[in-house]
Amino acid sequence: MRLTEEQQLLRDAVRVLADEKIAPRAAEIDRSATWPDDVRRLLASHDIFAIPFEERHGGLGSDLLTLCLAIEQISRVCATSGLILAVQALGAIPIQVAGTVEQQDRWLPGLASGEMLIAFALTEADAGSDPSGIRTRAVRDGDDYVINGTKRFISHGSVADSVVVFAATNPDAEKASRRLSAILVETDRPGFKVTRVEHKMGIRGSPTAELAFDNVRVPVANRLGDEGQGFAIAMKTFERSRPGIAAQAVGIAQGALEVAAAYAKERRQFGKPIAELQMIQSMLADMDAATEAARQLLYAACEAIESGNGDAARWAAICKLVAGDAAMRVTTDAVQVLGGYGYIDEYPVERMMRDAKITQLYEGTQQIQRLIVARSLLAGS
Amino acid sequence: MRIVVLTKPVPDPAAGAERLGPDNRLDRAASPTVVNGNDEYALEAALQLVEAHGGEVVILTMAPANGTETMRKALAMGAARGIHVTDDALAGADLPTTIRVLAAAAGQEAFDLLLGGLDTSDGAGGAVTAGVAARLGLPLLSTAAHIEPDPAAGRVRVRRLSAKGYDLVEAPMPAVISCTQALGAPRYPSLKGIMAARSRPIAAHSLADLGDGLAPADGAWATRVVAAEPPTARAAGRTVTGSATDAAREIADFLADRRLI
Amino acid sequence: MPALVLAVAEVADGSLTRLSTEAATLARALAEAAGGTALGLVVDAAPAGPAAELAGYLPRVVAVTAAELADQVPAPHVAAEVARLLGEGVTHVVIGATTDGRDIAGTLVGLTGLGLLANADTASWDGDAPVTRSVVLGGRAVTESTLSGGSGIITLRPGGVGASEAAVPGAVEPREPSTPAVPAAVVLERVAEAGAEVSLEDARVVVVGGRGVGSPEGFAVVEELAGLLGGVVGATRASVDAGWVPYARQIGQTGRVVKPALYLGLGVSGAMQHRVGMQGSEVIVAVNRDQDAPIAEVADLFVIGDLFQVAPALATEIRVRRGG
Repeated sequence: MRLTEEQQLLRDAVRVLADEKIAPRAAEIDRSATWPDDVRRLLASHDIFAIPFEERHGGLGSDLLTLCLAIEQISRVCATSGLILAVQALGAIPIQVAGTVEQQDRWLPGLASGEMLIAFALTEADAGSDPSGIRTRAVRDGDDYVINGTKRFISHGSVADSVVVFAATNPDAEKASRRLSAILVETDRPGFKVTRVEHKMGIRGSPTAELAFDNVRVPVANRLGDEGQGFAIAMKTFERSRPGIAAQAVGIAQGALEVAAAYAKERRQFGKPIAELQMIQSMLADMDAATEAARQLLYAACEAIESGNGDAARWAAICKLVAGDAAMRVTTDAVQVLGGYGYIDEYPVERMMRDAKITQLYEGTQQIQRLIVARSLLAGS
Repeated sequence: MRIVVLTKPVPDPAAGAERLGPDNRLDRAASPTVVNGNDEYALEAALQLVEAHGGEVVILTMAPANGTETMRKALAMGAARGIHVTDDALAGADLPTTIRVLAAAAGQEAFDLLLGGLDTSDGAGGAVTAGVAARLGLPLLSTAAHIEPDPAAGRVRVRRLSAKGYDLVEAPMPAVISCTQALGAPRYPSLKGIMAARSRPIAAHSLADLGDGLAPADGAWATRVVAAEPPTARAAGRTVTGSATDAAREIADFLADRRLI
Repeated sequence: MPALVLAVAEVADGSLTRLSTEAATLARALAEAAGGTALGLVVDAAPAGPAAELAGYLPRVVAVTAAELADQVPAPHVAAEVARLLGEGVTHVVIGATTDGRDIAGTLVGLTGLGLLANADTASWDGDAPVTRSVVLGGRAVTESTLSGGSGIITLRPGGVGASEAAVPGAVEPREPSTPAVPAAVVLERVAEAGAEVSLEDARVVVVGGRGVGSPEGFAVVEELAGLLGGVVGATRASVDAGWVPYARQIGQTGRVVKPALYLGLGVSGAMQHRVGMQGSEVIVAVNRDQDAPIAEVADLFVIGDLFQVAPALATEIRVRRGG
């Protein structure tokens, strides 16, 4: 996969920033489970948030692959920090794919500059893999919608300035996929409340929140697309956001691989570096192969999706599926290579293993990804 | 204000691969190149001055043809344009030639200040900026920790680091300043800066463009390296562990043996 | 043309610097090896005392009284005197590689086009030209370099040449100053900053506080040991960037290069950019909690321990051995 000069320049610039400014913070972010606003400000001041936005909104106008390169580089040193960029990009997609020009001009510049943070709220307590369980209602009242309900497991929900909420505007619609609308809710509106922030296994610096909407009133002008288009918007969003998670996973895997390889060269047992032992070499080789394969698939997926390939859903699912499984496997093996040292927080691989797990769960579980891949594969026959 | 900053692409010291080639000249292909560290401090100072007083920062580089890549890194920090002096005849150029060439190129710009880093990681002579100042007949304010121009009065004041603190030094502009790290850490280029840098102009000049007699006619440099070898390895040292009092005793014995206490 | 080697002296606080005596010794040695002569130059507002001292090392010392140096930077003035002497037959110039020394050397190269052999640790005469030895590329190589023409300039690093007086003291020749060929910046004020008064390059013992020291207050143990060992406090870039000590104390690639008889590092990791500033030290002792700290690679004695326990214990041990 040949990267353009621009892609290489941006990737290398993000790598330097990640290594020099973010990496030293990673352990502390995980240990304290605190939202790293300093990293957010760093990404803003270096125009990293600008990557997935058009120039007319203050963005860099870069492609999906460039965004994924940036997420990968940051995630290599800190999965929480990589997610900051990924979630911002995710939350903006509904506006980009379904918003009017006026809505885009209103909201996207603040996101491109990193001044404003956005979250994506689809999931509910009873609606994870199965969105038909969504109960949050948006009832039309004059020129407003009044929103009631609760969203669960919303990344950045407690730090976002606005949230794209998927609520049922047509609960009685015949087709389940026509029930929802996507509505942007500014979090300073009365009735919006963060009711819970989860304590998680990994990506502990990323706030995962429960959001309660108690008669939250927003103008109809905040609705993205038409009523009933919410589900379609969400599906379209995932085509572009799942590669971002794949990028996070590839980054995590690469980071773990580098730590394990460096450790194996230094650690001496039986009179020599363990890197000279074949079982270690075998593990490291498989880790490298898995990471590289996931990476190349991700890059190919980005190209396909960006070029308007008709099967974007399949590409997004397949790259996220492979990368998530690779990250879990590679980080687990990294801990194994480090032995006892891999289990303690003196080395980052235990954190990376805890961080990797989420890439098999969110933005569509691996099982959902498999259904999508199978559906696409079997549709032809 | 117009500030010209001398920037030199050097082998990346962090890559740890700098070495001399078989001809005892620096093997510039052995390592990736970066902007010389001290030059980045000079460039940062220039950018801040222009942000405060208006104007532009121009980077001036004498380097092989591929020097433009590294110049883009300096442009990405915010310099407006670059001047690239490049000529096969300058490969391995000695200090007097470098000074003459840089002075000739800088002399074509109407600048208020010319800034250079204190020295380079590959040459470390620390004499280029002073040489360029002398060649241009301009005052040199060296070893700067703080730069304060007064464009209205046409003067610049510099805090020049000294053994005891600093000397406050002043000269009329145009003036030449060599810059220390104390001026403040250089910014990381923003992504927009990196993208913009790709289209910022770099004017290329050959030796002939700059005038006659800048380099020795016969290509014989004033100095040459006649031999190079790796440094003599130190004898392996001893490691001490144990309690602080035991360690202290061992250190004291060690120093006493060598008559250091 | 017979070799006439000029040593340019530097005056600090009214006295000749030690590096000046080293430069003078080298000039004399080169002249003897070349079958020529050496001389010295002192340019100062009050040169008499330093010139008399320099005459202990050289047969002839030109002493220029330049009142302007009280409030102007020295390089243009000194360069003008050297240029005059070059016109009177000086073939080679040896200057200490200090801040002023480098400025003088650079100014001279700009004015005369002479070649410069920079940062020499030592020099010897070979055939018809001097050959200098210096450490380059951050310590990765040691080179021997020479001048291709019959004349040139050498800047000399401290500590490479041992100063030794001549058998017979020389004569001092007072002179009126020349007019500088380039304008000299004016010194409006000389400001002393607490903690900046330091001559790292001349120190016999340097005690360095690194990142492990952790705070400005932490430097107290560094200062205590420096005091007990008769040394000077130095710092790594980490300590300076953190604001615990002034930049004047920084040792390393972008700071000072030191070659003391004893380098004692406390909480210094020994990153390459610091090592290049101190690896020429005669004896290196380091204390660090991290057994993998790179400083261990150059240390003659590497102590794995907490500097805040080892340093006070060492201070106590030294006091005890001195009898109280």
